[in-house]
This record gives sequence, structure tokens and C-alpha cells, in this order.
Amino acid sequence: MGILTLNNVCFSYGKNPVLKDISYDFEVGKMYCVTGKSGAGKTTLLSLLSGLAQPTDGSILYDEKDIKKIDKYNFRSKYIGVIFQSYNLLTKFTALENVVLSMDIAGVKEINKKQKAKDLLLSVGLNEDEANRPILQLSGGQQQRVAIARALSYNPDIILADEPTGNLDRETENDIMNIFRQLSDQGKCVILVSHSPAVAELCDEIYELSKI
Amino acid sequence: MYVIKNALKCISRAKGRSVLIGIIALVIATSACLGLSIRQAAENAKQTTLESMSVTAQISFDRQSVMQNLQPPQENEDGKNGFDRDKFSEIMGGTSALSLEEYEKYAKADTVYDFYYTQTAYFNGSDNLEAVTDETEEDDDNTQNQMPGGFGGFQMPDRGGMKGGMMSGLSADGDFTVIGYSSDSAMSDFVNNTSSITSGTVFKEGTETLDCIISEELATFNSISVGDSITVTNSANDDETYNLLVVGIYTSTENNDFTMSMFGSNQDPANKIYMSANALQKIIDASEDINTDDESSPIKASLSATYSFADVDSYYQFEEDVRSLGLDDSYTVSSADLTSFENSLTPLNTLSSMAGWFLLVILIIGAVILVVLNIFNVRERKYEIGVLTAMGMKKGKVALQFVCEILVITMIAVIIGAGIGAVSSVPVTNALLENQTQSQSESIQQLENNFGRPGNMNGSGLQTPPDMPQNDGGGFGGKIEQMFSGASDYITEVDSAMNLTVVFQMLLIGLGLTLVASGVSVMFVMRYDPLKIFANRD
Repeated sequence: MGILTLNNVCFSYGKNPVLKDISYDFEVGKMYCVTGKSGAGKTTLLSLLSGLAQPTDGSILYDEKDIKKIDKYNFRSKYIGVIFQSYNLLTKFTALENVVLSMDIAGVKEINKKQKAKDLLLSVGLNEDEANRPILQLSGGQQQRVAIARALSYNPDIILADEPTGNLDRETENDIMNIFRQLSDQGKCVILVSHSPAVAELCDEIYELSKI
Repeated sequence: MYVIKNALKCISRAKGRSVLIGIIALVIATSACLGLSIRQAAENAKQTTLESMSVTAQISFDRQSVMQNLQPPQENEDGKNGFDRDKFSEIMGGTSALSLEEYEKYAKADTVYDFYYTQTAYFNGSDNLEAVTDETEEDDDNTQNQMPGGFGGFQMPDRGGMKGGMMSGLSADGDFTVIGYSSDSAMSDFVNNTSSITSGTVFKEGTETLDCIISEELATFNSISVGDSITVTNSANDDETYNLLVVGIYTSTENNDFTMSMFGSNQDPANKIYMSANALQKIIDASEDINTDDESSPIKASLSATYSFADVDSYYQFEEDVRSLGLDDSYTVSSADLTSFENSLTPLNTLSSMAGWFLLVILIIGAVILVVLNIFNVRERKYEIGVLTAMGMKKGKVALQFVCEILVITMIAVIIGAGIGAVSSVPVTNALLENQTQSQSESIQQLENNFGRPGNMNGSGLQTPPDMPQNDGGGFGGKIEQMFSGASDYITEVDSAMNLTVVFQMLLIGLGLTLVASGVSVMFVMRYDPLKIFANRD
């Protein structure tokens, strides 16, 4: 039994079905790639896994518990780290503040959250000066790193990333993928949503979604 | 805790938005502070004056009430109200003024702080005492026709406040008004510093000796000095004379502008003779002993009793006490002090009422503006709400953050507004009050001009003697008199307007505005779904 299990999950927008009878096990220590053509429902699946949307049928189990029965805010803030395609960072805040706020929301009992946030940002390749810059003064790659640091700030078991390398150059893409590889090696379950064959090649398992 | 921290960060990061909301809140707060301060100033002035004023009251016959009771509820066939004049005359004829014993009975009420009375009688002069007058003898004849006959047999209102003019045969005929005081405290002119002894001394309190004091003008007019005797006579019987010893001469600052031509000489303050009530009673008793047959006219006096109270509450309690002590419903308890006090508050009350409406309008408009601003604010921050909820921040906490932001901005605005209000409320209140008083005075002056009466006249067209309580509408004059009265005694200045009550009210207003404005934010936050927000943004 994996950390995250899909049991006959269906989802539709109104009368338009997007996902049908999806069953899958995601395990810790592995890096997955959910792939498929545009409109296949990759991002929708990510939304279901992150608890932002609820399946119209079937169930998603986190550690054998139906996530419907877990407080969705608690689930999102503690057990799963999401890296959105457009990063979804607070633009009025600095990189450091974004990470600290994430720890605050998760209720991390760290005495020096700022230092931990700095260390995290440093580990994803942002120096102190960059860490103290407002988000809008950072490049796309740097914002991507901030989003990864934010997702890691409360040490979740699962990392979800939607098109993590879509807007990045080759070098940065490699850096980011190395970070994900390190995380899976550290025992995290990393689920990447991407249609890039290069990304899929670097993952342990590939789950391909087909259009209904 | 992080919610508050986050709220403060959001305020500082979005300066333009915060300043805009802050300015609106500041305008509301300052206006509200001024409005509340004006209302508080009115209340303070009222309380301060009430606390410092000693209230006096009189018991008087309530003729209006009797007339209302006799008025049938519906008009008769002729379209007239069918007022029963015969019954009215019967009631009025059967009603006698309260006796001294009755007045004294009511004075035993616990609430009465002091009790005193005056008796007023009218006398003629003699060879050694002539009334001060500026008329020739021919003029004097005319004056006799005008007063009292010129007013249809008008008699001065009873000093006990007999509203119906129940004078019990007391006539204002006579050149002199002799007033007997039961105690020093009854001598209001001297107590209020409008009169003072210039030579000799005041007669002993409660003495039965026929000692008196006279005005400086009367003394000069008749070449009288302290120690001289003067003779007064019964106006209906020249042979009935009484010798009074002048023990003092006084001067008065009141009514130096008395117009002789319209009134009898006994209404001239210069022709007033003051003595002890007991001494005057001795004369009255003696006169009754002399004039025993039906055709003779003994000297009669009208009685005026005044009850003094430590505070206003005691006065109101007294009204209940006298009823339980048996005072008939046809009598009423009234206080000229309170009436005058209420008149003095007219501009302030008007201003207070206007300030109340102003406050209401400002609050409504302000609240609407804040709500609209917040709607824009929340819509503009939709993405932020989506990010926070996607990160796992509960919607309740997101809403709380928005409430905190508005609360902080509003409270800062309230503090600054209260500061501005504290500095400006007194001058603004006084400036508005001055305008209000001026406008009030001008309208009264205009009214007086419309009636063709000079400024020192009251509505009855008669000058009320200085030692007489104001007729409060029961007799002649009525409402016009009330309109004219007290025009110069308005409260025209306030010392302080802001106090803790205003500060507390300001805080409540701040909280209220926060609740109204943030209610919209809460509603929007609770409605938003992060997935939809991100989908729309993409």
C-alpha cells in the first residue's frame, strides 16, 4: 500500500468527464511522472491529489485514510507540498517571507523559522540577497526554486509539481530535477506532472493519462 | 499570531490602498468625533449647570388644566367646543389660594432644602412719603386709566404663582408695593447681588417690629435718611396709617430703565418697600381688626411661597411628595429656574440634535464608502486569497487577516481623528454655538419687532417686576412670552467637549465600521475557491 492511493477515481467538469476509473499507488522514495497530452487531465489529477478538488467518484487515500475525511487545509498545509505551474507565490512578500509564512500556516514549531527558510532557499540555490528580494524581482527559475523551498518548508511526505520545468532553460531544468531526485532519495514521494519526455526519463515511474 | 503579523505586513506593503482606506476612515472618525463631542458638550454643560444650580419651585393653581378638564371631547352642533363658562367661574370662585399653613405643610417634605415666603401688599403714601414718579398730575390721571383699568381690570399675578390671576380681592391700587420677607434667603435680589444696602442695615430676620428698607431713589425723592419714620396708608382708607422705621437704604442694579408711563407707580422698583413678613402680617392683622364691617376694605396681601432644593432630583421628588401630602390636582408645582435653564439650553440642544443627524449621515455614507472600497480591495486580492487557502490557510484565518487589516487602519484613523477632534471640538462647538445663539437671538428679535415691542418686554406686553416669578404661560402672554424669555441667558460657550465617554463611543464606532466593512471581505473570502481563482488567472 502506497502513501497515496487512487481508487477508481473519476472526475468531471459538469457533464464533461475528465478522469475515469483511475487507480494507482504512489510510494515514498520514488519519483513519478504523470504525463499525457494536453487536456488529458494531468493538472486535474494534481488538483485531486493536493485536495484542491474532490473526485466525483472513487476515493483518494493518504496513508490509508480517505482524504475527504482529513481536514483539507491541514492536509494541504502539512502532508503535501504543491509546486504550481505558475508558482502561486505572494508577490508582495519576499522569497524568505513566502517560505516563513508557509511554515507559520503549517504550524511548524521551529524557533528560528527565518534561519530555516534561509537554509532551505540556499539549498535550492538562492543566496541571502535573493532570498530577501520581493518575488517580482526574481526570475522564473528563481521563483520556481522559491516555490520548491516553500513546498519543503514543513517537511511533507509528498511533493507535487505541475510542469516544474516548463518555463526553464536547460541548465536550470537540470538543477531543479536534481533537487527532486535528492528529495525522492531522501524518502519523499515526488509526483511530477509534465509532458516533457526529458523529465519523464528522469523519473522512476511514468503514469500516462489518455484523453477520454 | 502570524495572522496579525501578516496583516501588518500587508498594510505596510500596500501603502496606497491602506492610505486610501485610512483617509476615508479618518474623515469619518474626525467628523464622528466632532459630532459626538458636540453632543457630549451639550450633556456636560447641562450636567454641570444642573449640579451647580439650586432649584426653587412654587406651587401654583393650574388654570389650564381646569380649562382642559371642562372642555368637552367633541364639538357641539354649532361647531363650537361648548366650553362650560359657568362651571369654570364656579370652580374659580370656589378655589382659594393656598394658605401659609398649607405651604408650610408641604415644606415638611424631606426633599425641601429651604422654604421661605413673601407677602405683598399695596399702600398709599402720606405727607412725608410720596412715590417716585416722573409724571405731572395730569399724566398721573391718564396712568390711572391705563393701569390697571387700561388692561381690562388687570391685576398683577399672584406672587404664589396663581396662574389664573386669582387675586382674592387683592388690588394693585396703591402707590407703594410693600413686600414682607420671611427670611433673609427670601430676599433674592440681595442674595443674587442685584441689590445691596448702601446705608444702615436690613431689618432683623423674622422681626415683628415695623422696620423697613427703602430704595435710594425713594430716599432721595423724599429726603429720607436711615432712622427716619415713614407713613403708609391703606389705599382704601386714608385714615388708616402705619408708621415704619427706615433702618436701611438699598440700591438695585435691576430695572433702572423702568418705563413709568405704562405702569402704576407701585410697579416702579424705586417704590418698593421691604420689611419682615411678620411685621407686614402684623399690619394686615391690625387692618383686619380696624375694618370689620362689610363696606370697609382691610389691607390684603398676596402670598408667595418658594421651596428650595439641593438638586433637580429633589425637585422632581418633591412633586410626588406634595401629592402624597394631599395637594389637589388643580395645583401644579413649577420651577422658573428649570424653565429658564431649559430655555438657556435651546441653542445647545438644537446644535446637539443637528450634530446627531450629522453623525448619522456621516456614519452611513462613510460605511457605504468603506464597504465599496473593501469590495474592490477583496476582488483585487482574490489571487492572494487563493494562494493562502491553497497553502492550507483556513478561510476563517484569511478572513481574520482581512478584518485585522481594516481594524488596524480604522483604529489608527480613530486615534488620529480623536486627536484632531480633541483639539478642534471646543472651538468648533463654540463657533457653531455662537452662530446658533445669534440665529436664535435674531429670530426672537425679529419676532419682537413683528409684535412692535421693545427688547425688554415680555410677551404679555407687561414688564414683570423683578421680584416676581415669571408667568409661565398660564395667564396672559402664554407662548409668546415663553418664546421671548431667556434670550440673553443662552449657554454660549462650552469648556470641554471630549471626554472618556466620547473616546469610548469613538472606539465603538471604529469597531462598528470595521465590522461593516470587513463583513464584505469575510463574505467574499468564504465564497472564493482557490482552484477557480487559479483557473481564471491562467
